[in-house]
Amino acid sequence: MTSLTLNKTATRLLIDNKAFLALALLVIVSALLSDNFLTVDNLLNVLRQSSINAIIAMGVTFVILTAGIDLSVGAVLALTGAFAGAMTASGLTPWLSVPGTVAAGAGLGAIAGAFVAYGRIQAFIVTLVAMTILRGAALVFTDGRPISIGATPAADLFWQLGGGYWLGVPIPIYLMFFVFLLCWGVLHHTRFGRHVYAVGGGEKVARLSGINVTRIKVSVYAISGACAALAGVVLTARLGSAQPTAGTGYELDAIAAVVIGGTSLMGGRGRIFGTLVGALVIGVLNNALNIMGVSSYFQMIAKGAVILLAVLLDSRSSSS
Amino acid sequence: MKKLLLASAVATGLGLSGQAAADRIALVISTLNNPFFVTLQEGAEAKAEALGHELIVLDSGNDAARELSNVEDALSRDIDALLLNPTDADAAASGVRSANARNVPVITLDRSASAGRVASHIASDNVAGGRLAGEFVAERLGGEGRVVQLEGVPGASATRDRGEGFVAALDDAEGLELAASQPANFNRSEGLNVMENLLQAHAELDAVFAQNDEMALGAQRALQANGREDLVLVGFDGTDAGIQAVEDGQLDATVAQQPGRIGELGVATADALLAGESVAASIPVPLKLIVRD
Amino acid sequence: MTLRGIEKGFSGVKVLEGVDLTLQAGRVLALAGENGAGKSTLMKVLSGVHQADAGELRLRGRPVRFATPRQAMDAGIAIIHQELNLVPGLSAGENVFLGREPRTRLGTVDWSRLYRRAGELLARLDQPLDPRTPVGELSIGQQQMVEIARALSLDAEIIVMDEPTDALTDIETEVLERVVAGLRDAGKSLVMITHRLPEIFRICDDVAVLRDGRLVHDGPTEALDEDRLIRHMVGRELAERYPYEPPLPGEVCLEVENLHAPGVHGLGFAARAGEVLGFGGLMGAGRTEMARALCGDVPARAGEVRLRGRAVRFASPGEALAAGLVYVPEDRKQAGLLLAHSVAENMSLAALTAFCGPLGVIRRGRERTAIDHYVDALQIKLNDVDQRIDTLSGGNQQKVSLAKALMTEPEIVILDEPTRGVDVGAKREIYLLINRLKRQGKCVLLISSEMPELLGLSDRIMVLAGGRITGEFSRADATQETIMTAAAHVEAATETATQ
Repeated sequence: MTSLTLNKTATRLLIDNKAFLALALLVIVSALLSDNFLTVDNLLNVLRQSSINAIIAMGVTFVILTAGIDLSVGAVLALTGAFAGAMTASGLTPWLSVPGTVAAGAGLGAIAGAFVAYGRIQAFIVTLVAMTILRGAALVFTDGRPISIGATPAADLFWQLGGGYWLGVPIPIYLMFFVFLLCWGVLHHTRFGRHVYAVGGGEKVARLSGINVTRIKVSVYAISGACAALAGVVLTARLGSAQPTAGTGYELDAIAAVVIGGTSLMGGRGRIFGTLVGALVIGVLNNALNIMGVSSYFQMIAKGAVILLAVLLDSRSSSS
Repeated sequence: MKKLLLASAVATGLGLSGQAAADRIALVISTLNNPFFVTLQEGAEAKAEALGHELIVLDSGNDAARELSNVEDALSRDIDALLLNPTDADAAASGVRSANARNVPVITLDRSASAGRVASHIASDNVAGGRLAGEFVAERLGGEGRVVQLEGVPGASATRDRGEGFVAALDDAEGLELAASQPANFNRSEGLNVMENLLQAHAELDAVFAQNDEMALGAQRALQANGREDLVLVGFDGTDAGIQAVEDGQLDATVAQQPGRIGELGVATADALLAGESVAASIPVPLKLIVRD
Repeated sequence: MTLRGIEKGFSGVKVLEGVDLTLQAGRVLALAGENGAGKSTLMKVLSGVHQADAGELRLRGRPVRFATPRQAMDAGIAIIHQELNLVPGLSAGENVFLGREPRTRLGTVDWSRLYRRAGELLARLDQPLDPRTPVGELSIGQQQMVEIARALSLDAEIIVMDEPTDALTDIETEVLERVVAGLRDAGKSLVMITHRLPEIFRICDDVAVLRDGRLVHDGPTEALDEDRLIRHMVGRELAERYPYEPPLPGEVCLEVENLHAPGVHGLGFAARAGEVLGFGGLMGAGRTEMARALCGDVPARAGEVRLRGRAVRFASPGEALAAGLVYVPEDRKQAGLLLAHSVAENMSLAALTAFCGPLGVIRRGRERTAIDHYVDALQIKLNDVDQRIDTLSGGNQQKVSLAKALMTEPEIVILDEPTRGVDVGAKREIYLLINRLKRQGKCVLLISSEMPELLGLSDRIMVLAGGRITGEFSRADATQETIMTAAAHVEAATETATQ
């Protein structure tokens, strides 16, 4: 009986997450083509490189589950990363600067969310505008120059968030899995999570079921902003400085990860685990192309082809 | 046209020689958000002041559409020459054609235009710069070793030219092997990621050439984290951060462009053109290697 | 047209098994059967939406095979699906001629011809509406008429209508029946899939009954009566169709006074616990609008609503739920259920708070127990509560919708057309459930356009027209005639008033 349920769970996992299959295939092919791929060092490396996109994408998953979209995450990352850099440069301990940065990200997201929920403006437009404004704000705030985190004790501690290790594993990987567990718990085990799915599945139904749709909408954009801000912290820490134009195009990578992970852009359907896998697919792909020394002109074609394949796999499984 | 007549009337009235009188030159610049172009602008302004010309500077904000309207605005202000620093070679063509239609001579700076009549193109000699970097690496390694290159945006002319010069220099020094050449899109965080990946793939490496300083600074982070700071690391552009890193010993060298010289030469060439002299179709601006003293 | 030995299965499950059927020109065939019996699938095979796994189709003696609906359409077979296939943003006329717009010599759309012809077709259906009106602004009944106009515009020889009258009011149904009779007399062959038995006996010449994918009866209507037809459909005897139980008089728990809201103009009534209060009226009379105003889905403009004597004003359905008033909407697909979600997720959606621990964490065990309880109590037929709800039949979907409402443990339940698109067997189960709610002392407001159902279940009946109450009848006084008079009489009165 137990083995039967276990078996059922495993089958279900594969059916639900064709992206997982794509990831497994990708790993196998990469391992066959390059001896350097399947080493502990390199796998940690892939996970660390995927962590930023994964953290952003998990936040974006909430938004997409409500049938919204968030194009502003890259810009939020740039601006909040600059906040984090500036706070650290002024000697503020990460124990305060990191929560502060994440709260700022949540606040920026909530403002966009309020326009979507109360202003009834399409999410695409709102977040496109937010992206433009926040990109500008990041340039104004940094004066167009990188902000170095400096060499204070606070900066050293802050740097650990991007470059540090614990038990031989890079800190960003822990952060990624922490965010994953948190998102997974919230989405699949709380009332709020069910409500998020319900709003995406049918707003009218959700409303008549007594769900405060506007509150849910504002919340998901706040979550997306908070995740982008945490990613901004990690990026700033990794580079030791905040780049004024950091995160350009990250919104598209994040959306790609969400879609590869099988979440429907129409809302209501998807899994946070899929998004994690989607981000890893992109990360493994970047790493493998580098390691195999694929020429730059072919890299983009290869990336596009793999993403298309992953999405095709998923759409075929869900339609049958 | 009326203004021009008026201007020359005033000039004649004052008894000044025609070409020395305040010619109006426009500089349409791709972006002032980047210190490189700010320095270029400053070089041009200094030269214009020295020669007594009026210089109008218009910022295109890296937007091809705004660039075109900037060119059109400048033309409507009856300029005598146009210095164009395009955001993009193809998109610049329509601006150049508008100027051609008005018989205003065009000089392109740093980036070229893909079509239209251009009197002269002034730019850093990226091929020579790449070669400079290659020769520096060869000299440091004593002519032998394994080298990787971090490329810029695939297909960009700077990527092509710098790579071409660098690879040519490696070929000349027979003992050097190009172990890998991968794109990191002129971006610092991508430079970091790609360098990490390359370190995984290649256990033995002796030098890294990054086609700009941003990627070099990213790569430097990866080398530091992996304890591989023994590698020779060369950047390109000579940005403030790049030069600072050379002074701090984080980069071994950077190939510096001289944006001020580009701006200066642009105005000087326009001056020569307006005086009726002939100018070279392509004027390369030399680069210099910045190494820690 | 003949069909012989048609078989069709979906992912291993046989839906049709060896069905033979003949359609004759100049006759109307009723295709009857419970939900899930295979009626819609059979018609989709006929119209090229699905391809048969075995068997053959013959058109005027010649074998045919339709790979696409387009091919079937070209062969003269039009189907009007149960789910409306209209583009809400386009006008009625554009929808009628969608993809077949008349052209001018220049190849552009000939708008004047398009709207003139669309207007003519709608006039044939007694629908004097402007063909330029966007379909999204029409009532469901009017939208159905646009669908029918589209089929007419195809000049098809065979017209299949899947539950055409389900969304129509009695008056609109009469119009449709006249149109069907006209088409039959013009020599067309018509097939109607319907749950409404009286309709079959009024307008259909032949009846074919499907049960579990097999044809169990095929013959002229005269040879049958309602009871025998039902027996063919469900394969067993059905007890009394409307199992009425007398009410246990309770306290007044809902009082509405002079309620004004969009579509509702000064409405008042009182309802007691343990009572089924029926709401009759024509389509657009304001019954759904009243329900939406009561549950806070649309704001009330004026008036007073009292729950157990306490004045309330709900800003959202969430507040109404918290106060013990729940609304089960008419439109299951758009407003009632999340079709792409599981049965379990749907059922507990409105009542999640009851299963939540600290931080809003759902206690799965408690949730599952409650869900299993309702699956059992309402006899919902399913394989697994985690299966997607759109894999259930209409009747079972409706039961889930009801279970979802009951899980919130309401005092007042507003049911809006609770048996729409539900087969005979499931209908009866829903009636029994309504009686059980009454016994439990809940106050049930029942909105229904099916007159026998309304008369059969209600303790009292309110009739609405033009957003006002135009008649109130005790169970003893209410008849089809008195209700229709009240519904139509004031309709005329408001019309003269507005003129």
